[in-house]
Amino acid sequence: MNIYIYIIRRLLYIIPVILGVSFLIFLLFNVVCPDPTLIMLGKHATPEQMAMLRSELGLDRSLWIQYFDILKSAFTFDFGRSWNTKQEIFEMIKNGAIPSLTFTVPGFIFSTITSLSIAVIVAFYRGQFLDKFFVVLCVSMMSISSLAYILFFQWFFAYKLGMFEISGYEDGFPYFIPYVILPIIIWVILSLGYDLRFYRTIMLDEIYQDYVRTARAKGLSERVILFKHVLKNAMIPVITYVVIQIPYLILGALLIENFFGIPGLGSLIVDSINSNDFGVLKAMSILTSLAFIFFNLISDVLYTMVDPRVRLR
Amino acid sequence: MLKILLTSVMTLFFITSCFKKEANFEGKELNVAVKAQVKGMDPIYSDDRYSSTEVARVYEGLLEYHYLKRPYELKPNLAESMPVISSDGLTYTFKIRKGVLFHNDAAFPDGKGRELVAEDFVFSLKRLADPKLLGNGWWTIDGKIKGLNEWRDKYSKLPATDYTENIEGLNALDKYTLQFKLTKPFPQFLNVLAMPFASAVAKEVADKYGKELLNHPIGTGPFKIKNGVFRQSNRIEYLKNENYRNKTYPCEASKEFTKDYLKDCGKQLPLVEKLTSHIIEETQPRWLNFLKGKVDFVEPDKDNFEGALPTGSELADDLKAKGIELMISPYLDITYTALNMELDLFKNNKKLRQAMFLAYNANESNKLFYNNTGIPAQSVIPPGLKGYSKSFKNKYRGEGKADQITKAKKLLAEAGYPEGKGLPVITYDCTSTTDAKQIGEFFQKQMAQIGINISVVQNPWPRLQEKVKNRQVMTHGIAWGADYPDAENFLQLLYGPNRAPGANGSGYDNPEYNKMFEKVAVMQDGPERTALYEKMNKMIAEELPWIFGVHRQNTTVKHGWITNFVQTDFEPGRSAYLNIDVEKKKEQIKTL
Repeated sequence: MNIYIYIIRRLLYIIPVILGVSFLIFLLFNVVCPDPTLIMLGKHATPEQMAMLRSELGLDRSLWIQYFDILKSAFTFDFGRSWNTKQEIFEMIKNGAIPSLTFTVPGFIFSTITSLSIAVIVAFYRGQFLDKFFVVLCVSMMSISSLAYILFFQWFFAYKLGMFEISGYEDGFPYFIPYVILPIIIWVILSLGYDLRFYRTIMLDEIYQDYVRTARAKGLSERVILFKHVLKNAMIPVITYVVIQIPYLILGALLIENFFGIPGLGSLIVDSINSNDFGVLKAMSILTSLAFIFFNLISDVLYTMVDPRVRLR
Repeated sequence: MLKILLTSVMTLFFITSCFKKEANFEGKELNVAVKAQVKGMDPIYSDDRYSSTEVARVYEGLLEYHYLKRPYELKPNLAESMPVISSDGLTYTFKIRKGVLFHNDAAFPDGKGRELVAEDFVFSLKRLADPKLLGNGWWTIDGKIKGLNEWRDKYSKLPATDYTENIEGLNALDKYTLQFKLTKPFPQFLNVLAMPFASAVAKEVADKYGKELLNHPIGTGPFKIKNGVFRQSNRIEYLKNENYRNKTYPCEASKEFTKDYLKDCGKQLPLVEKLTSHIIEETQPRWLNFLKGKVDFVEPDKDNFEGALPTGSELADDLKAKGIELMISPYLDITYTALNMELDLFKNNKKLRQAMFLAYNANESNKLFYNNTGIPAQSVIPPGLKGYSKSFKNKYRGEGKADQITKAKKLLAEAGYPEGKGLPVITYDCTSTTDAKQIGEFFQKQMAQIGINISVVQNPWPRLQEKVKNRQVMTHGIAWGADYPDAENFLQLLYGPNRAPGANGSGYDNPEYNKMFEKVAVMQDGPERTALYEKMNKMIAEELPWIFGVHRQNTTVKHGWITNFVQTDFEPGRSAYLNIDVEKKKEQIKTL
């Protein structure tokens, strides 16, 4: 199958997915969730004000029109204003995306490179001390809650040793750097356990394939076998794993951002949950779903580039 | 491997030190920790503590509370003097201070802030009433000003609001004279005018920015926002307003304030050059930033309370050694469990209510949930307000004593439910937080002592509100904080016509009480009104439509370099009075 036809086919698959996702979001926020006007108007709300606000928010219109609005916002990105802060939701999201990315992207790159490199090495030394050491290390790192890392690192490295800022954020390069180093370190530590175990399994699957034995028989060096052949063949699951994580990067990290005072999307979500700001939560749900759909598409297209057999299936 | 590790650590040190913006400890910069995200800077939406405090740094109203007087006393702010009130209590005439300038902004010709005039208040109150804007502070003037509700109703049905239309009770008589005509006497109207909702907003600015006014705060206040634009972020920076009018630090104070509070008497406000509000939502970073001297004062949270105040009332020695000081003062608030008085179960059975109140150990609840800093409530009015009497003790106030439990059991039997037999399971609705759940479980345990079965039901906050408004709860746990320092604000919570969906969530409706409330609500301040407040307070203490909890206290720790710091329930405006002892700060910061 031609790659363009394949892409078109994948794009068409998106339509029912968007319809389904928007319907679920509509059910969750417009049908099931309680009356938002009480939250917005506070303790002195009167029935008259609540009715006015319902009308202003369009909640007095038919459910079909409300559903259509959600669907429309998925394409126009016009999410209206926050139910709690009255700020433009799209502006809030735009302002939060950059601070989130300033620590999630470096954290993601560092953790991916580090874990992938270590995975290749431990796969090579399978069953030996180095492999066992990293397996135990991974399990230990995964067993500790992210909150424990955050609390300890912030108290010890930032407060006690004074190596980093306790919390805060400065806009603009390079001023944000001192504020994001500790969050990046925590991000890498939090990701390393999961990533390393996953990549190690992939590498081990590959390392026992026939072509590796053939390559060895041909007399190729272990370095060439590992980094040229094994790594390339392991790329499909690696791409899936990496690409699917990208939406999470944009979303930021809920706890890290809140504890380090980074005004990113993670903080925005936490604030919105705390203040029952369903307007923002609805918008974030729509955008997250769209991001997942989009990056799924990207990973599928990338498969076809790495392994042309995929598009023929 | 070790080499790589060492190189990495050195590189990190290098990077962090290169790009670090050092805190400016030389200048008079006030650093304030804010616990929650600030919504925006439009006065009409400033209905929470955090937003209203930020709004009041930039905007001002006609009146304010005297910084150093307790009980709270109103004084002119943008008004030149206190208003002339007609003998029937219906007409309030204000003279506006001359020569007050708005902050410079592109909305004004040549970008220069113009002079404040009486018409600005007419416009600002119309904005608060505008049905298209749905300001959160509308309740403060709802039904109070002649013609305003009619104006609002008219434009709620039309596509746009006309601000030029005259309103009978809201008039600028000349450039500097403002007159309000009320629909009925409302002595708390002056308190309303001291709230940030009623701050002066310039029409030009509102016209230029529209709904985005919440990000363009241009007022007459002591501080102006840096770069003129507010953005929801992790900090808000303000600079001293260089065109601020001649407003000075007070030279008189109530007796509870020491002489140190008058050191800055007569000095031009604000006393600091710069102010930064740091939004730090989590407790650990807020506390650590305080300990490092990066914020000037904080309220210790549950997590660090024991470390900071090991005895509950005194500061830890290590903190004292660092020059940190402790301030404790009561909040004007009350926590309580409201009983649904529309249910026959509670409505017709005072003895059941009294038994429940007697079985509820307020001292233990104070210890468990408020670090023993609260004051067990005897009735509805909190300390610090006229109508509260320190010597008054509610004879049904449970304190966990054995004889009280015995008496509670007796009362329950007299109510027709010996050992709780025949009583249905009573539901207790609360919010979905862990604290609320624990408070609910504590209530459950206390009631179980006398045989009453309580079932705790947790709800998201909007759902709980909805259930209370629709009368779908049997009992519910809640708290009320003063909107203004007048007992009327608490007593109205039990006024029959305010029943849900109004603020009277328990649905208590007693004709005798209602009559007294109607009388007291229109009385001007004076001994007669205070006596009536006390009478109503005692009546509620006997009637018990609520199981009173505690009046919470505010506990703040501050660095010794901050001077003139006072605890207040009405924080807006405080920052202009705070000062920094720069020399002391230089010394103390070395010990942190």
